[in-house]
Amino acid sequence: MDFRMDLIIDYMPFFLKGALYTIGVSLVGILLGTILGLLIGMGKIMRNKLLALPFILYITFFRGTPLFVQILLIHFGLIPLVLGQTNAIVAGIVALTLNAAAYIAEIFRAGIQSIDRGQMEAARSLGQTHVQAMRYVILPQAFKRMVPPLGNEFIVLLKDSSLLAVITVPELMYWGRAFQGQYYKIWEPYLTAALIYLILTLSMSYLLGRLEKRLATE
Amino acid sequence: MKKRSMISFVLMGALSLALAGCGEDDTANGSSGDSGGEKEKLRLVTDGAYAPMEYLDNGEITGFGIDFAEAVVEEAGYEADIEVIGWEPIFVEIEGKTADLAVSSITINDERKETYDFSVPYYLSTNMIMVPEDSDVESGEDLKGKKIAVLNGSTGQEAAETIAGENSTDVLKFADNNLAIQELLAGGADAVIADNTIVEYYTQMNPEQKLKVVPDDDFAEEFYGILFPKGSELKADFDEAIKAIIDNGTYTEIYQEWFGNEPDLEALKAQQE
Repeated sequence: MDFRMDLIIDYMPFFLKGALYTIGVSLVGILLGTILGLLIGMGKIMRNKLLALPFILYITFFRGTPLFVQILLIHFGLIPLVLGQTNAIVAGIVALTLNAAAYIAEIFRAGIQSIDRGQMEAARSLGQTHVQAMRYVILPQAFKRMVPPLGNEFIVLLKDSSLLAVITVPELMYWGRAFQGQYYKIWEPYLTAALIYLILTLSMSYLLGRLEKRLATE
Repeated sequence: MKKRSMISFVLMGALSLALAGCGEDDTANGSSGDSGGEKEKLRLVTDGAYAPMEYLDNGEITGFGIDFAEAVVEEAGYEADIEVIGWEPIFVEIEGKTADLAVSSITINDERKETYDFSVPYYLSTNMIMVPEDSDVESGEDLKGKKIAVLNGSTGQEAAETIAGENSTDVLKFADNNLAIQELLAGGADAVIADNTIVEYYTQMNPEQKLKVVPDDDFAEEFYGILFPKGSELKADFDEAIKAIIDNGTYTEIYQEWFGNEPDLEALKAQQE
């Protein structure tokens, strides 16, 4: 087996363009997923069980079915229903967001519930409303505890974005597969893609490490 | 200090990847020695998502290609286990000699001949364009600037890239033809380019989806062959067997059963010379 470095170099513009798409859809997914996840996490811990039910069902569905299936459902089902035609990039972002939101909701719930009950009681006894206590006392402390699992989720999301290749989002893995289809080579495209993914995830964990350090109080 | 350990970590990662590559190289060479054992049960691989050529009917692999493969394996005096592995893995397994042969509507072309051996042709096919019934597309030229959905690594992709340009973002490469057709139905692509067999069969089977087939004379005639690893000892036996079942009428029988018309044996035989 000869390793064709020249093919990789020829194909590098596509790998880099793909990597940009990977970064793009992942960042948007992370951002929207975090916002949606916060709302859903809050929804799930509402004391009114009837109101909390839709949020519980949401998490059950998106956490209980494979992302691969969700991507195909959203691309060929949901998006054409809403937009009138398929749009791979929109479908990709929606799928990543909805999926990540379910996991992030659970991270938020765990973070909030990990704060000692006495904190809320103390805030309320000082005259703060439930919402104020959440905003100024509980969430800031909970957020710090959520950073490591959130970082974990972001890295998973970045890697999961490779599944979007099946619906032809032109991200890194799509070009890896296109390379494979064109030259019938395995090692060249997939090792290159793996290396680029590794660089992306390492950069991300580096940034998250910095963030954790800044948030450290001791 | 922190920064340095970071860099060394990345380097270590890259090194271990490179080493993994080398290791696999050795084993691939090592295993090529024992694949020459004759008359043992052959491992025949196929894509299995290519109706009516090779597809799963209630979990059973069936289709014209499968019936043909069974007839030809028997004629050649072998036994074979047919295994569905998907399109792209076929090329990996045959190149790595972990499978003995592949029957999967594989078009014979010069690029593939560099890496693989083919039997004599057993089927004639052309690419065709599939568009919605109300589309004004009349030939491949009309597809310029439009989105074309294809099977990744197929000759349909080559035809599409001839029109749109190599690696054009107008060519959407899917992992199987059904996904490409779904993309057309959902409005994300303006056309599908695929083998006539697939396109005609799908259009016929799904009249309610209002699709039509547009031929293009510029698309070259293609011939399917059985794929073997380079230098395979099976090729000679299978070439003989293919010619034998074409001459004794078995081929025509299978062809009529699946397509309802007569095969163009003259074109096939001319190509087999």
